[in-house]
Parts: sequence; C-alpha cells; structure tokens
Amino acid sequence: MFSPAVGRLSRRLLEIRQLFAPSQVKSLSSRSFSTALNYHIDSPDNNPDIPWDFTDANKERIKEILSHYPSNYKQSAVIPLLDLAQQQQGGWLTVSAMNAVAKVVEVAPIRVYEVATFYSMFNRTKVGKYHLLVCGTTPCMIRGSREIEDALLKHLGVKRNEVTKDGIFSVGEMECMGCCVNAPMITVADYSKGSEGYTYNYYEDVTPKRVIEIVEMLRKGEAPSVGTQNPQRIKSGPEGGNTTLHGEPKPPPCRDLDAC
Amino acid sequence: MGLGIRALRATRSSALGRIYSTSPIYHRILSPSSPSFFRWIVTTPELQKPDAAAEPAPQPPPPPTPVGGARVQITKPEDAIEVFVDGFPVKIPKGMTVLQACEVAGVDIPRFCYHSRLSIAGNCRMCLVEVEKSPKPVASCAMPALPGMKIKTDTPLAKKAREGVMEFLLMNHPLDCPICDQGGECDLQDQSMAFGSDRGRFTEMKRSVVDKNLGPLVKTVMTRCIQCTRCVRFASEIAGVQDLGMLGRGSGEEIGTYVERLMTSELSGNVIDICPVGALTSKPFAFKARNWELKGTETIDVTDAVGSNIRIDSRGPEVMRVLPCLNEDINEEWISDKTRFCYDGLKRQRLSDPMIRGSDGQFRAVTWRDALAVVAEAAHNTKPEEIVGIVGQLSDAESMMALKDFLNRMGSNNVWAEGNGVNPQADLRSNFLLNTTISGFGKADLFLLVGSQPRVEAPMVNARIRKTIRATQAKVAYIGPATDFNYDHQHLGTGAQTLIEIAEGRHPFCSSLLSAKNPVVILGAGVFERMDKDTIISAVETIAKYGKVMRPEWKGLNVLLLNAAQAASLDLGLVPEANSSIETAKFLYLMGADDVNLDKVPGDAFVVYQGHHGDKSVYRANIILPASAFSEKEGIYENTEGCAQSTSPAVPTVGDARDDWKIIRALSEVAGVYLPYDNLEAIRCRIRVVAPNLLQMDEKEAPTVSAALKPEFTGKISKSAFGTTVENFYMTDAITRASKIMAQCSATLSKRK
Amino acid sequence: MASLIKSAFQAIKEKGIRNVVNELKEGGYGKCLLDGNLLQTKIHNIGATLVGVDQFGNKYYENMQCQYGRHRWVEYAKKDRYNASQVPPEWHGWLHHITDHTGDELLMLKPKRYSLEHRENFSGEGDEFIYHSKGHTLNPGQRDWTRYQPWQPTPKS
Repeated sequence: MFSPAVGRLSRRLLEIRQLFAPSQVKSLSSRSFSTALNYHIDSPDNNPDIPWDFTDANKERIKEILSHYPSNYKQSAVIPLLDLAQQQQGGWLTVSAMNAVAKVVEVAPIRVYEVATFYSMFNRTKVGKYHLLVCGTTPCMIRGSREIEDALLKHLGVKRNEVTKDGIFSVGEMECMGCCVNAPMITVADYSKGSEGYTYNYYEDVTPKRVIEIVEMLRKGEAPSVGTQNPQRIKSGPEGGNTTLHGEPKPPPCRDLDAC
Repeated sequence: MGLGIRALRATRSSALGRIYSTSPIYHRILSPSSPSFFRWIVTTPELQKPDAAAEPAPQPPPPPTPVGGARVQITKPEDAIEVFVDGFPVKIPKGMTVLQACEVAGVDIPRFCYHSRLSIAGNCRMCLVEVEKSPKPVASCAMPALPGMKIKTDTPLAKKAREGVMEFLLMNHPLDCPICDQGGECDLQDQSMAFGSDRGRFTEMKRSVVDKNLGPLVKTVMTRCIQCTRCVRFASEIAGVQDLGMLGRGSGEEIGTYVERLMTSELSGNVIDICPVGALTSKPFAFKARNWELKGTETIDVTDAVGSNIRIDSRGPEVMRVLPCLNEDINEEWISDKTRFCYDGLKRQRLSDPMIRGSDGQFRAVTWRDALAVVAEAAHNTKPEEIVGIVGQLSDAESMMALKDFLNRMGSNNVWAEGNGVNPQADLRSNFLLNTTISGFGKADLFLLVGSQPRVEAPMVNARIRKTIRATQAKVAYIGPATDFNYDHQHLGTGAQTLIEIAEGRHPFCSSLLSAKNPVVILGAGVFERMDKDTIISAVETIAKYGKVMRPEWKGLNVLLLNAAQAASLDLGLVPEANSSIETAKFLYLMGADDVNLDKVPGDAFVVYQGHHGDKSVYRANIILPASAFSEKEGIYENTEGCAQSTSPAVPTVGDARDDWKIIRALSEVAGVYLPYDNLEAIRCRIRVVAPNLLQMDEKEAPTVSAALKPEFTGKISKSAFGTTVENFYMTDAITRASKIMAQCSATLSKRK
Repeated sequence: MASLIKSAFQAIKEKGIRNVVNELKEGGYGKCLLDGNLLQTKIHNIGATLVGVDQFGNKYYENMQCQYGRHRWVEYAKKDRYNASQVPPEWHGWLHHITDHTGDELLMLKPKRYSLEHRENFSGEGDEFIYHSKGHTLNPGQRDWTRYQPWQPTPKS
C-alpha cells in the first residue's frame, strides 16, 4: 500500500541528496580519454616543419617490425612504429614524427593521425620523462585510486596531463591494466633513456604514501622494485602467505587423462 | 521524402491491420443476428455500421517496385539467389547485401553511412533490419544476403531498433534545423520524422566540435556531424585526396584533417551532396535560399567537354546553385567544383545591351536595330574572303550552325571554333571523339595519356579513370609535363620524343601496351594547337595500330576535348578554309570567342563580339551584341564522347540579350541574306541535314572505326614538351573567369597544388 | 438652456466678444453646425469629465451616467479631418475599455529608446504618405532587384 509513495519519496530524497552532495565525481562528459585535442595546432615544438627521423638503431628495428607483416600490408605496422617513434621522441608524438611513420608505412599522413588520435596511449602533447599513469577503472577506484592520483598531483604540483616544471614527471589516467587483484596500481612509463632503455613498469598495491616514495626514488634515479608494493605479499598472492592451496592440487576427480 | 511517404503508408496499413484483427469482437456485438441490448459507443462511425466487419479483408498489396529504379542484372543464372523481403520473394545475384536486396524488393531502408558508390562502412546502424533466426537486428548495408534469408523490415523489432539508433544519432546533434542550410533536404531530418521517436530522453549536455576550414567551397559545422564517414570515404576513394579522416574515439570522435589543410580536390563540392546532415554545406550558397524556394531545371554543364548533367536551382531570375544530376554514362552523380560553383559568374560582367564603340573609343548602348544595321553594313563593305567567324567555347550547335550559314551566304567559309587548331580532322568522327566512352573506361586495363591532364581538363573523366584503377588495378602511363595526378601513374616523358619512341617500339612501355587486353589511349585536345599535330596524331595512330587499341569490339583510341562547343563544331564542319585568315581578316565575327589571340587581327578590322560576358575579346570589339548564357537558352551541346545533349532555360536572359542563333537570324535579314529558320525546330531541321547525330539526344552514335589508320608518320616533329592546356582549372572560360568564387578558389587552392 | 445663454453672456462680458468668438472657432463650434458628429460630441461633452488630453490635443471624456460601453469617447483635436487612427496607442486601450489606466499613466510605460512617435494613417492623402513596398518605383529607397551585374565598358588601357 505504501510502497509506491515510499519509493517516490526515497527517490526524491536521493535526488535531493545528490543535489547537495559535494560533487566528487568529475563530470563524465568532460573527461578526456586522450592527452590532447583531436586536431593539431602548430606550436614551436610541434609543427610539421620540424625535421624528424628515426635514429639508425630504430631504423634497424623498423626493418624487424616490418618483417612481421606482408610487404603489401605495410600499414599494419603503424601501431608498433608509432610506439617506437613515441619512445624515441621522449614519450610523445609530434606531427613530424607521425609524418615520418606515414612515410615508412607508405600511407597518407591522415591515416596515421587517425590511429594516433584513436589510441589514448599515444600522447600527442608533451609528457614528462616519467609518465605516471594511474589506473582509474572500477577495482582500482574502489581501492582508492583517486586518493593516489590526488596525492601524486598534490606532491608534484601539477594538474592531470600536465608536465612538472623540470620536465621529469607528468600524471595521466588510464584504463584497466589487468592488475585488479593488486589494486590500486600505477604505471610508470620511463622515457628518460630513449627507446633503448624504455621501460613500462607496474607498481601495484600502492598507497598515497608509497607513490610519493616511488616518485622521489625515480627523481633520484633509483629504480624502485616493480610489482606489488605491499611487503607482505608475494606477487598477487594473499597478504601473509597462502591461506589455501597449501598442498599439491588434486586432479579433477572424473578425468583420468592416462586412461584416454 | 520517399522514405517519409513509405513510413506513412506503413503506419497506416498497420493501423488498419489492428482494426481488422480486433474486428471479430465487433462482429459479434454489432452483427444484426446478435441481440443488441445496447449501442456500442465508438468514436469511429464506420465501426457502428453493422456490416463494418463484413467488408472483405484488405488485399495484400501488390509486389512493390524497386526503389529508385534499382536494377538487377543477373549475369549468371546459377549465381542468383532468392531471399524474402517482408514475405515477397526476390531474385538477386550472389554477393548483394541485404540492403540492396531490400531495394530491389521495393523497400527503402533508412541509411546514413551507406552510399552506393562508396565502400561500406556500417557505422551508422540506421539500416538495421530483422532477419529470421538472427539473434540481433542486422545492419543490412554490411550483411551479404544469403539464399533463403527471410528479411523483415517493418517488424516491431526493426522499428524499435531504428528508433533507438535515431535517438542515439540525435543525442549529440544540435537542434539548429531553422538555421541549418541542409534544412528541408536533410536525411537526418527526414528520417527522424519517418523512423524516429516522437520524444527524446537525452537531458545531458550536447557535445560541440570545432569547425574545420576546408577551403572556400565547403562550409563545415562539425557539431552537426553524425560520423557517417561518407566524406572521408569520398575523399579517399573518389576524389583521391587523402585529407579527411576520422579522429579521436568515442564521443570525442570528429571528422577532420588533423593538421590545418584545405581540401584541394577538384571534386570537393560533392561532399556537400553526400553529407546526410548539415555538417558540410556549400559556402557560397550559405544562407542564400531554402531548397523548397528553388525551381530546379535539369540541364547540361558547359564548363568542360564532358557535359555533366546538372540541375540548376533558381529563384526568380537568379541562379542560386548547381547540383549534379544522375547520369550513369557521364558523370554518375558527381560534378566538378568548377561546374558546381561557377554559377555566380552568370551574374557578373554580363553584357546586357548592344553597344557600339564610337569614334572616341568609348562604348555606348544602342538599340538592336541600329546595332544590326551597323554590323550588316560592315559585313557588306568587306570582301567575302576577308570575313572570318570564330566560335567560342560555350556555343551551342544551333548558333554555330546559324553563324556558319550566315557567313557562307556572305561568301566566306572561314568559320571555326577556338581550340580546334588549324586544319582540324573533322572528317572522321572517331578522330576527335572519346570513342571508348566514359563508361567504357570501366573495362580498360591500361591508360596511356598523351598530352592530356584529365584531372584539370575533364574531372569527371578523371574520376572514371580513377574508379577503374581502383576496381581493376589498371595502369596509367602519361606523356606530358609533370602534373598532379590523384592516382599512381608512370610518367614516361614530357614531349613528343617519347611518343615517337613508343611508336617505333623502342620504349620499355611497349611491352605493357602489348600485353594489355583493353588498352586506352587518350590524346589531349591541347595538341590540336601545335604545329606538328598531324605527326603527333599519326604517331598516336601508329601506337594504336601497334598496340591493337582499335578493334571492332574495343575502340580504345580517344581524344579528350577541352570545351563544350568543340565536338559539335567539328561535327558541323566548322573548319577554316585558310590557315592564317585571322591576320588578313577585315570583318571578324566572334561568337563568345575569348581565348583566340586577337593581337594578330589587323587594326582596321571590324570586330563583332557576340557573347554573354565582358571578357577578354570585348576590349577589341567594335560592336557588342549581348547573347544569353547556357543557363538561359535551349541549345544542343555535344560532349566529348559524341553524346548530344540539350540545355534547358532555367532563368530568363539578362537585360536586352537574345539567344545566339536568333541574333544571327535577325542579322541575316538585315544583311539581306535571309536564313530560312524562324524557330528552334526549323534550325534543328537544318542541323539534321548537316549532322543528324546532334539531334539524337542522350544517345551516342558509335563512330565508325576508320580501317585505314595511317600507319606511317612523316613530317617534322618538334622536340618541345607538350604544354599544360589548362593552366588554372578554376578559370577556363568567360563564365568562370567572371566568377568571384572561382577567383577565390584559384587564389587559395591552386597555389597549393 | 437659460443657464447656457447666461454663461455665454457672462463669458462675453468677461473676455470680450472677439475672444469668445475665437474660442468658439478653435473649439470647433462653428463646424458643429455642418458636422453632426461633432455637434453630437459637443452635446455629449456637457456634464462629462475630461479624463485627459493627449499630445495631439485629442480630449478624452468619460461619463459614467451614460450607457455602459458608451461612456468613454474622444473629441478629436482636428475638427475637419478626424479619424480613429489619430488616437495614440496609449489612449487606445483606455478608449476601447481594454484597460482602466488612462493614456497619461500608460505613457510612462512607453519605452524611451526605441519607441516611435505615433503617426496617424495618411491613406488617401497623397503619394508621399502611401506605403510603397521596397521594390515600388515610388519608394524613394527603392531596392535594386537586378540580379546581375552588367559589364561596364571601360576604355581599353
């Protein structure tokens, strides 16, 4: 008897609460998936007139990459090549780098731009030497990725997708990297050593305190241990050692493989 | 529009069906046999009638006719499959999509991204239909029809799917139809009326997208874009300029060029037509008129020799815009930018009154009577061999006939059309026509372009060559100055020297020519102006003979003419008697001829300029007779493949101007050499005597293949390279030179080329 | 009647015969004899309250003793050529019982910046008063409907 009225009332209360609640969630529509606009504006450090070419070492790697694909489908190599160009460039793709890729795979530049704008891990604006990517997908978010991002941004004194003044760090957001079992996690893309020493490391089980330690270690040039940052855990195992699966797992009861 | 009507019909029939399906209840209650204690109150009076239900059940509608003249050609009977569209069996060839099958069955499927001349993208999802035993609605444009498929297009599932898709499409589409130039001819508008929901549930903010600058012709309002990617596919497939792309992803997706660049295609205007919404609209036409205010006149374009079929949309006395008309054999459904946007040239620099140059060198307006009397007197005071007539690029067959007849009666036979050069080969039609025909290019597998740049000379021919290359991997070889092609080509050389090498079999290209099954040789009409043109032509003929280009079943030797009057003038035999007659001319009759070099005309020559624009030659003229432009008269034009077509008047003539042939007819009477035709039929009868093929409208009379191709070539050949015939694509004739839009185009677009 | 004559004599005595005749002339009493409408209005005015006078001099009367609906009327300032379009919009509402606010009150609501002065309808008063559409030859600002630009002969340079 009461249920429709109660339902209506509770819905209304929820609406009012949502109205007055401090908006923590940033507007979804304004969230940018990528680091830049979908069109290019010429700037002194990014315009088509800047000469750009792959290094000789990378040219060897291009040959190797292209050998994976049939010679009449060179354009399949556009993503590995863009990645290579991004590593060489120091974490981001200028228009001239994309043009160089287009020349290698023999397509019109716009086809490369299409790919580069589609994938959010191709940065089309400048990033720091260490590009810190905070996972923002649900499991990490539940485990506090927002606090981690806030801590990072506060510590570095930048906004998201901004580079610190010294050009060492930038913070971005990304989608699930498959480390949900060790949530929350950040990824550090290390562009400081060019495409030869390029690493892309996961730091899992981070806390707001730990990320700042990681950042400071990176700043000093140290290499923090990758993987889980919880000393109690081994890889993705439970904290304090296994609680189950102690013995040898038993084979499935109704399958005798030898009998087959 | 058609979709709207269909949708109405569909809803009406389903509503009827509902009434009939519930009718047994009424039947029981209302039939006279049943004891009716009460009167059934219904608002529809026909149901109150007791025999309402006794009416016969509605006949199933007759099998519908295919949409838009969709034709099915089943070449191999074993390839035919049968599908059922809404219960009707349809026979279609294998490989057709579900959407095409529905079109054959007469069901128009709503679509945005699908375009029959572009590749299939399948990203708008508007064409969802239900297919039996399919778990989900199927995007019909991308789904190949399979034998026995049962397609249902008006089920609740299909309708709901369309409604849902439409709601998503309208989500980010601004509600600015009142200020949108596409309003009234917008696919999204029509289809949302026909298939959309009557309300939306979207309450969030709509996105907005930065407008792109695509040049002086295409206006962009990218917020309206629904990401159908038709323009991207058109640019890369038909126009051959890889400029546009789909950037970004998800809701941030947008069409753009990424880096700032203009669309430098000569076909860029067609993206206006294929854009289903108002994202890409015409910049010169912006906010000028609504499409329902316009009167459409289907006519012929004269800015090049292709004779594209166009529709001139006019409002009152003003040409508002030009749109393409479908003609599968000539321009398909595209037209070049020059055709589409030169219309503002029809309104500028027009000659509106007859004018005489006084003794002080100034023009003053006079009456027709005075003007004609002066011309007639001057003509009579000249020796017949010193009378010369030159016909311009834009003249129709009637006026050329009249001028030739008039000057013949005055005793002169020096009448020719500009661009044909000296001693044009007018005897054999196959020597100056595009014998393969434009649609015949589809079967070719090798093109040899000799001194011809089809991209600027005839963009529609170029589009067809490009289409062939995309479809069949045909090869293109080119002899001429380095130029811009929008397809891969092999540049053999720049001048006649290379041609000789091929003709003598010394060139490596000969092997590919010999191995080609259907080779096409296209000779540009620019070589007509060269002194050694006979040698070049015989060299080309030698190549043709050697490469088996001219066979009874394959006529591969072509001449690509440059302007609209050329083919008809050669058909009518406008061939000069003496080569250098212009230097001795004392009476020069220029009929719209603006591209002849008048420097050699003697200073005391009397020059009559009859034309519609104050262009180059007017300044030399002694008397100006204003004529009507192609949009204002009915006239026969023969295109470069020998297909005669007729223009129709869309707007009235300006000022005191008259049709060209009427002026000459009146002049003949004043001059005392009466021409015996008083109306269009009579002059066409006269044309029938000279060139009967000009009266066979829209038909191509196949030219006889000359069996005696001249195999040897003698005579000197100049080593100079072939010239560029069209320097500026956007300004080739009097109309385009007067056009402001074309001036803008050549300022912004040509310099980038 | 007697009081009317008495007051007339009174007026003549006070102002002199000439002034009184002038006043009567200006008041349009002379025209009354030829114009029945005006005469009736004049007679009507007796005992009515003058509610207001507008900028053109039209006088607005009200008499609540009259039949309802006929209790407001105007005496036009122009005695020879009067018509309803001479009533300015602010008085129109009062006169036609649309509102009880008099024109003087409504005048305060009149926008200052963009409002135009009221003009009566001059139809039939001559060509200069007639509205001509923008393409009409008699419109001094006649629009050019020529849709083409003719070639202008210039001396050959």
